[in-house]
Amino acid sequence: MNLPKATRTVRLSNPEGLHLRAATVIAEVARRYRSKVALHKGSQRAEATEVLQIATLGAAQGEEVVLEASGDDAEAVLDTLVDLFHGGFGHEEDEK
Amino acid sequence: MKFANFISREAIRPSLDATDKEGAIREMVQSLLDAGRIAAGEYEAVVKMILKREELGSTGIGRGVAVPHAKHPSVEQLVGTVAVSAAGVDFASLDGETVHLFFLLVSPPDRPGDHLRALENISRQLRDDTFCRFLKQAKSREDIEQLLDEADNNQFGS
Repeated sequence: MNLPKATRTVRLSNPEGLHLRAATVIAEVARRYRSKVALHKGSQRAEATEVLQIATLGAAQGEEVVLEASGDDAEAVLDTLVDLFHGGFGHEEDEK
Repeated sequence: MKFANFISREAIRPSLDATDKEGAIREMVQSLLDAGRIAAGEYEAVVKMILKREELGSTGIGRGVAVPHAKHPSVEQLVGTVAVSAAGVDFASLDGETVHLFFLLVSPPDRPGDHLRALENISRQLRDDTFCRFLKQAKSREDIEQLLDEADNNQFGS
């Protein structure tokens, strides 16, 4: 059986990059969906549900991250994650 | 970035006394102050910023680990410390487990890249179960220093 697959490429626009709270929010979102989601930065891969793996990517402002999902809600989970990336993961000002 | 680049050895706490979140954060910031990494007059301000960051979501990221952190203009470079709690601290972690290992970071507001690279290093090392286990078992500052050195020499991690 072939599960639906989806892929998106995003560029990190926020100055903080893929910081800890961003990683946490991504993991929380990914856990709410059935699809299996991974983040890629170059040859590095992280499971989207694992905060430590996402943080290990060390993705900084301006860098590209490829999101891959596989499952019946693959498009939906990536739509949500891409919105988070474009929104800079919210609350940037609060962390200063 | 290696641990040696941002962990203040003098500020390492092998045995935290505090058993609650604010107490643990205060103890670690105090140890940075005692090590001369944070100015005495900035103690309360730094503690408040770290607690404010925790309000956005716990930095207790599971596996008994927390990375409390804040930006503060009083530091000119990234400073950090490591602390171990044998009893465990209730840190409102994502997985509900108590926290035994702490990496506390304070960084200048204009250096997000340094913070990110430190976080990348901490995360990579913490993914190694052996590193985590040895660190939790560490009894002295020297034990912790040795483990950080071994990690810096790529003896752990994936």
